[in-house]
This record gives sequence, structure tokens and C-alpha cells, in this order.
Amino acid sequence: MAIKIVPRGDVPPNQINDYFKFSCPPEFNGPNPDPLPPTFSFSRKLLVGIDLLLPDGSKVPMWVIEDPDAPDAPHPLPKDILRRSFPSPTLRIPLDALVNADVDCNGNTHTIHWHGIEPTPMNDGVGHLSFEVTGHFTYQYQPRQAGTFFYHCHKNTVLHFEMGLYGLLLIDPPDPSAPAVPVTYPTGGPGFAAGMNPNALLPTDHVIHYDVEALWVADDIDSRWHTLQHNAFMQKCVPDDPDNPANFSQDGILNDFRPDIFVMTGIARRVSDPSAFTAAENPLFGPLVAPTVKAGQTLLVRTLVAAYAVAQFTLDIDVEVIAMDGHALGVPPLQQYSRPLLVRAGTPIRLTTARRWDLIVRPTSPRVVPVKVEFFNNINGRLLYTATTSITVTK
Amino acid sequence: MKRRDFIKTGLSGLAAIAVGGVGLPQLFRSESFALDRTVKLSMEGALVEMVDRSKVFHWLFSSAATGPSFPGPVLFATAGDLVTVNVANHLNEPHAFQIIGTNVLTAPIYPGKSATVSFTAPAAGSYLYTDPLNAPANRVLGLHGAFIVSPAAGNTPYSYPTPTVQRLFNDLGASKQFPKFALSPAGWDPSRFRIWLQHQIDPLFNAQAQADFLAGRASTVSAAKMRTSFLPRYFTINGKSGVFSAHDPGIALSGRIGQPMLVRILNSGLFTHSNHIHANHVYVIAVNGAVQDNLFFVDTFTIDPLDRVDWLVPFLRPPDIAGNRYTPLRNLIPNELGLTIDGPNGSPGVQQSPLGYPMHCHLETSQTAAGGNYPQGTLTHFDFLGDVDGIDFPNAM
Ligand SMILES: [Cu+2]
Ligand SMILES: [Cu+2]
Repeated sequence: MAIKIVPRGDVPPNQINDYFKFSCPPEFNGPNPDPLPPTFSFSRKLLVGIDLLLPDGSKVPMWVIEDPDAPDAPHPLPKDILRRSFPSPTLRIPLDALVNADVDCNGNTHTIHWHGIEPTPMNDGVGHLSFEVTGHFTYQYQPRQAGTFFYHCHKNTVLHFEMGLYGLLLIDPPDPSAPAVPVTYPTGGPGFAAGMNPNALLPTDHVIHYDVEALWVADDIDSRWHTLQHNAFMQKCVPDDPDNPANFSQDGILNDFRPDIFVMTGIARRVSDPSAFTAAENPLFGPLVAPTVKAGQTLLVRTLVAAYAVAQFTLDIDVEVIAMDGHALGVPPLQQYSRPLLVRAGTPIRLTTARRWDLIVRPTSPRVVPVKVEFFNNINGRLLYTATTSITVTK
Repeated sequence: MKRRDFIKTGLSGLAAIAVGGVGLPQLFRSESFALDRTVKLSMEGALVEMVDRSKVFHWLFSSAATGPSFPGPVLFATAGDLVTVNVANHLNEPHAFQIIGTNVLTAPIYPGKSATVSFTAPAAGSYLYTDPLNAPANRVLGLHGAFIVSPAAGNTPYSYPTPTVQRLFNDLGASKQFPKFALSPAGWDPSRFRIWLQHQIDPLFNAQAQADFLAGRASTVSAAKMRTSFLPRYFTINGKSGVFSAHDPGIALSGRIGQPMLVRILNSGLFTHSNHIHANHVYVIAVNGAVQDNLFFVDTFTIDPLDRVDWLVPFLRPPDIAGNRYTPLRNLIPNELGLTIDGPNGSPGVQQSPLGYPMHCHLETSQTAAGGNYPQGTLTHFDFLGDVDGIDFPNAM
């Protein structure tokens, strides 16, 4: 008896072009099609190669998105670090700004997707639903929620995102005492974050003041992947027969992620190195990973999972979750169906790739609060690595 | 099973069977066909073509009306209705039938035998039916499908909505935050839903099952080995991947601004997904049978193995489009809506209207097929065909 076949199906003849652009997006170069006068502009360049330094002195090649306009960093930081870092330089944008983002791509095509920001398709940076940038494009959008977002390349994303083509994108709300003045806050604090305020009189009152800001970006690296080319294992582009089996690569390893390096906001460890992540070891990122806060002050922790492992954050102190994915819990109109969440000390917060939870910590007495970030394989659940750091509470 | 019981409808895009005695599930009231109390399923061996046309052996649920299907046919019922399922085992080893989240479970069904189970359809929601034996192997090798229960009454997808879910559904199309699409009737439209049954395939295990099947012997696939060394090479939604799931009208989200849609997500595999949607945040309204009261409004959500998660996609105008939020998009972005971008390699140009976005898993190894070929994995499209005032964007069909 012949075995029955459940067929894949053919490309519908009237949709050949749609199917073709799916794996081989068109390219575009030029100004925004519907430009408006910006109130906030910046530039980004992709890509530049940098080396990620490990404590043992070895290096991993990374791809990052450059901020060409950032100044030289003050001593003792490396001069270039504000322009070229891993993660790519953090963007801070005032709430409601009309943003023009000038993006230059050299050598090859890329896109930037502003993850969690929700503009038109041409400004959303997904090649197969719009285009890939060859040369230059000005993305335009107007963020209407303050919170934690990120930006990343959306081409061969499985590889380009893993290689480091991403950075944090933070939308800052105005100071409630001057609600008409667009502002951004210094990274590390102090500032205001969007968050439910039960006593709010105005929409702009839904903010929480914080003294110190931590950025916990959990990432992992498979160093085997860091020798691959831009278009590694992509499908062949055949316009009149886009999904012919012969077009598919068969020798790829992009389904097989074996992380051997684990990272907290740019600070890296080999899997065999359990040493704690400290503020002192990296003047730029260290204080954002291992913050110091005074008793009685408010700490805002922004989390992002850039890892393909499942990341589980456990703090030895109660935290209030005030926002998820750039939207403040409980704030009307759209988040009126939710409310902030209390997570007790020692209770893990388990997040997967691209999720962001914003946490408020209010320590009342001096102590060192242990923090661990566990990375688990997303298929077999095996614990891969435990990153340890701490929040230091001083008098 | 009679042919009339097989719903071949754009509503699900999946092979589907309505079952029960009192009447059709609410979603199908507009459609004219009858239904029986009994669903007859069998378990068969079949080859499923992947997105690159490689043929991978599976064990599949089959019915007379649908044939073997990957995933198994969707079973639709109404809460409280009496349902009977008869399952015949045409494979070489014992199998069983279970609906996770209920107490429906048969004893092992030996090769050549069948079993019948009757039960009252549980509270409205999404459920996963599987073969629980040799877990997770029999499920992962293809023996799974969705069981969808509609409420007998009410204006939400649930028999027992929480106060917050009830309030959210009352507000749809009837509040400032959820303006109604001009041409929609008032209230929640239960026919606007999708099922995304997500699965992953490691063909090494399927090849072993195939060799056993062809030799006429019982399967030697080891569940323990699968638990430790499963490495998926294909990632599917409703049995399709990449470009095929993106363009499947039963998988892709489609509608006008102001036409919300319910998505019932289920994960029958072993891979934890991190589903991310562009253009709108979504409300997480039910998780594993628990209708939620604190409705997270997120762009990314974890879908663990065996999870059942319901999203309400509000179909809001993408909120961060630059410019006046109340100007119709045809006036705000006329050039984008009118633009055709030249295709590469001399292919025809690509029209930018209507407005298309992706929903994809952000745990990006799932965006591959056969080890690469981005983005031929867990992905579909989210298309806005027209503005809230009833005027469609160019090229909307
Ligand atoms: Cu993203
Ligand atoms: Cu994306």
C-alpha cells in the first residue's frame, strides 16, 4: 500500500511575485515617501564589525549598528565606545517626538525594525513586507507610548540579530511638572518612567520617578555562528519559480544554536566562567548591570531578552512590574484592562526572546541584593548558564 | 461521518469537523450544514511535504471527510453539548486519545482496534487533543489537533469570562479606544478568529518511525531520546511554514482598522516559542484554560510546549504612524499607499498597499527551514485592508 502524501501545495500562479519577494525582498534607497518635519532626528549606520572582549583576553567578532554622531568617550573609556558598542548604542527619544532616523547601509542591504514601535510597513523595517535599504533611507515614526523598546536589523534576522545588530530604544515621558517639554533622561538615571499612578489627574501624571536606572539585556552567543557571511544559508532568488525545492539551502546550522558565551548588557562570560558580573569591570555597562542605589531611593530595572535561550531573572528583593513591552500596566485607555504586578523576592521572572519587563525596586535598608539570571535551553529545558550580579544598597 | 459534517471554511483554513447535538457552534451559525454527535477519527501513516518539498513521515489523525491531516482535523463543539469521539488505530503500536485540559482519555488502543469516548464539551476555550502515550513522541510525530469549544451564550469567546475580559469585549467597537469599523455590525464578531497550532519537526525521529512503519513493526522511537536531543529542522503553523503560512487566508490575520480578531495559539511541539506581532500590541486573554483578569498588552509572548494562549488582536490603526492620528491614512501616507517598489532580478514591482506586517516567533532559530532559508519558519502575515471609515486601501481584495 502506497503511503498517502499531504502535499505542500504549489505557488499560486497569480501570487508568484508575492512569494518571490518573501525570500528575496526588493531594495529601496531614498527619502521617506511621506515626509513630515521632524522634531527629533538621528543617524545609524550598518554595519560595523567590532570585537567583544572576554575576561580571558580572547575576542569574538560582532556586528553592530553605529551611531556616527556620538562624541568621543571620556577617559578611561575607549574613544569609540559611544559610537560603536555591543549592544549597539542606546537610543533615547522623547515621547510623541516626530522621529526621522537616517539609516545608512554600506556594502550590503539591511533594515532597521523598531521593535514594539508600530508605524507604517515602509517604516517598520521588514524587508519582505516593504524593502531592504540599499544605501540610505529615512525611517519616520512617532512613538506614542513611553517605555522599553529595542531596534534591530530584520534581514536574515536569525543571524543578524544574534551577531549584535541591535540596541535598546527607550522612549522617555516628560517630567510631570513640565508635561509640554519633550525630554530624554541620562542613561543610568535619574528620570521618569511610564507607570500607573493611582492619583493621576492628567494622563501625563502616569509616571514613576526613579533615581537609578539599570539595563539588563540578557544575550547569548554561539561562536560558531560568528564566522558566517551576511547571507549565510539564504534561499536562492529565482523570480519565476521562487519556492522550487532546488532553491533551498540544505546545509545550514541556523536551527542549531549552541551558545558558549553569555552576556549581560555587553559584559560577556564563557560558559565555563561563573564569576559575578560587577560594576567595576566595565565603566560603560558595569553600573547598568550591577547598580548602586541608596536605601529609600527608587531603582528602575529595564529587562530585555536578546538571547535565544529562555532567561529567568531572580532578585532577592520584592519588585513591582510596571510595564511590559513598552506599555505601562494599568494606564488608560489601552492598558486599563491590566494592572501592575508584584513579584516577591526569590520568585523567578521567566522571559523569552524580545520580551521586556520594567521593574521597580525600592530597597529600604543597606545591603547587597543578589541577582541571578539563568539561561535555559528552549527545547530540552537544560540550564546552560547562571549569570550572577547584584544591586548594592548604600546608606 | 457524513460529508456535510466537514467544514471547509475560510474561518479556520484547517480541515475541520463540527460535532455535537444541540446546534452548531456559535461561529458557524451563519453557515448552513448539519452535524452529528459522533466524530470518527483514525490514526494513519502519511508523508507530509515540508516547505522545501522534502517528504517527512508522520502519524496523523484522519477522517473520512478530510483524509489524513497535519495537524489533525479541528474539532468544533459548543460548551455543554454531548460529544462522542471514535478513534481507530491503523498503526503498528498502541496509541490513545486525550484532550489536554479535560478528563477525556481513552485506554491504550491496540493496532487494528478502536475506542469510543463520550463526554460533555467543557467550558469554552481552546484545547489540544493528542496521543499521550510514549510522551512526547507520539504527539510530536504528528498525533495532535485542536479542539475548539464555543460558549453557548454571551458576547465573549468564553463560558465564564472574567469581569475584565467581559469589559474588554463590551468595549470593542463601543468605546473611544476601540473605534468600530464603519461597515461592521456592533459588537464582537465571533467569526473573526484564527487558530495557530504551532509545531516543530526533527525529521531524524520521523525517519525512524517510518522505517518501523514500513517494516510492519512497532515503533522504536525513544521518548527519552526525543526529550534530550530533539532539534527541529522545520517549524509550522497549522502544518505550513514561511511563505505558505504567510499567505494562507486561514492563518494570516486580515481585516480593516476596527475589526478585532481572536487568535487561539496552541503549541503541540517541544520548542518554546516567543511569538511577536508587529503593528499592534495584543491582549493576552486566556492562558491554558484560565481566562485572565489582568490582561497584559504585549507585542511578544511566550508559547511553551502544550501551551494554549488566546490573543485578542485589536486591529487598531498602527498607533505610531507619524502625523495627526485622526487624519485618514489615505491623506497622511498617500505616497506609500501608492508606491510600487521595483522588484529585484527584473521581477515585477511590489505594491506597498494594503498595509502588511509580520507575526513571527522571535526565538529566531524558528525562522529557518532546513537549517537556513530565512524566513521560512514560524511566521504569518497581518494585513490591514482598509481604514476605519469603510474606505479600503489600494489593491485590497
Ligand atoms: Cu524584534
Ligand atoms: Cu520582527
